Amino acid sequence: MTTSGGLYDDVRAGKQPSGAIHRMQPDDNIEKLMVRYQQGDFAAASALIDCVSPQLYRFFAAQSFSRADADDLLQETWLRIHKVRHTWRPGEPALPWFYAIARHIRVDHYRKSVRTATGERRLEAIAVSHPTPPPASDQAEQVAALLAPLSAAEREVLEMLKIAGMSLEEVAGATSSSVGSVKQKAHRAYKKLRKTFSVGQKGGRP
Amino acid sequence: MKEVEIDEVLKAARTPNAPRPETLQRVTGIIEGSLRPVRPLPPAWIFTTGLFLVSASVALAGAARAGFDGLEKMTPWERGLIFPTLAIYMTIAANALVKAIIPGSRRRISTDLLLGLGTVALIAVFAFSFRDYHVEHFVSTGIPCLLTGLFHAIPAALVSWLLLRRGFAVRPVSAGWIAGLLAGIAGVGVLELHCVNFEAAHVLVWHTAVIPVSGALGALCAGVWVRLRRLAR
Repeated sequence: MTTSGGLYDDVRAGKQPSGAIHRMQPDDNIEKLMVRYQQGDFAAASALIDCVSPQLYRFFAAQSFSRADADDLLQETWLRIHKVRHTWRPGEPALPWFYAIARHIRVDHYRKSVRTATGERRLEAIAVSHPTPPPASDQAEQVAALLAPLSAAEREVLEMLKIAGMSLEEVAGATSSSVGSVKQKAHRAYKKLRKTFSVGQKGGRP
Repeated sequence: MKEVEIDEVLKAARTPNAPRPETLQRVTGIIEGSLRPVRPLPPAWIFTTGLFLVSASVALAGAARAGFDGLEKMTPWERGLIFPTLAIYMTIAANALVKAIIPGSRRRISTDLLLGLGTVALIAVFAFSFRDYHVEHFVSTGIPCLLTGLFHAIPAALVSWLLLRRGFAVRPVSAGWIAGLLAGIAGVGVLELHCVNFEAAHVLVWHTAVIPVSGALGALCAGVWVRLRRLAR
C-alpha cells in the first residue's frame, strides 16, 4: 500500500498537512486585532469576527455536518470568547486559543446532545409514536463509515487536520496536547484505516 | 483503499460554506453591547511562581504548626534528595495547572507524561531514601498521615483557586485533577517535614497516596461544579 501523497507523509515529515488551506489572514494580524479587542476597540472585534468565523465555522461543520448546528455553535463560541477574552495573552498565538475554546463548546454540545438523545430514547420507550431523525447526507454517512473504526480522539484529529484544514500546531493547541501526540494519533488513525480497508478488500468488500 | 483515496473522501467532506451573515451580525451586535477594555492575564511564569510559593508556604506553615520533627530526624543526604524532588514536582504540577487554565497553551511535552514522571521520580526517591522495611501498625499510623496530608491540601487548593480564578479551563475536570495533585504535593511536603515514621511501606503507601487521592477529590469537585453550573444555566 502506498504512503505517498497523503496526510501520513505530511505528518511523518512534521510538515503542515496539504489540506490546510483555510487560513484567511496571517496569525500576526489576528493577534494585533486581539490586542485591540482586549482594549475595547469595536472595529477590531468586528474585524476579528469576520476574519476568524469562517475557520471556526468549518471546524464545527466538519463534525456536525449541519449548517444550523454549526451556526449555533459559532455564536455560542463567540459569546464564550467574548467572556474569557482576557485569558489570551499578547505575544501568544491566537488561533490555538480560539480553537481550544471552540473545541470546548463542541464537546459541551456533544455531551448535551448525548444527554438529550438518552432522554429521548427513554421517552420513546413509552411513547406511541415518535418522530424519525432527519436523514444524514450521503457525504456525512460516507465519512462516518470511513472513520468508524477510529477512536474518538483519532477521529477528532483526522477531522481537524483533513476536513477543517487545521495545521498540526493548531490541532495541538485546540486539543490541549503536544504536536507529537497529534502526529501519533494521525499516524495510528491512518494505520487503522489501512488495516481495516485491506481486511475489507480481502473479504471481497469494496 | 489507499491513503490517497482516504484523503480524497475526507477532502470531499469539507464544507466550503461560510457562516450565515445573520449569525455574524447577531454576534457583532451582542459583543458591541458589552465591549469594554479587559486586562489580559499575566505571563504564565508569574502564575507558576505564585502557585509554587502558595504550595510551599502551605507546606511550611503546616509543618511549623505541627513541628519539623521529620526534617530533624532526616540525614542531610535524605533532605538533599527529598525536598528538591518535591520542589521540582511542585513546579511541574504548577506549570501544568497554569497551562490547564489558559486555553490553547503550547505543550512541548505531554502534561500527563510530565506529571507521571514526577510521580515516578518521587516514589523512586522515597524507595531509595527509606530502607526500613519493618512494618508496624501499618493502617493505624497510615490513616492519620493520609488525613493530615489531605487536610493541608485543602488550603493549598483554595488559595490556588483564588490565584487562578480569572483563568478559563477548557477541560475543567482535568484542571481539577491537576489542582488536586498540586495541593496533594503540598500535603506530602507537610508530611515529609513533620512525620517521623520512616518505614518504607508507610512513606511509599500513605504519604504518596495523598497526591492521587487529592487529585481525585479535585477532579470530583470540578465535575460537581461543572454539573451545577450546567443546571444553573
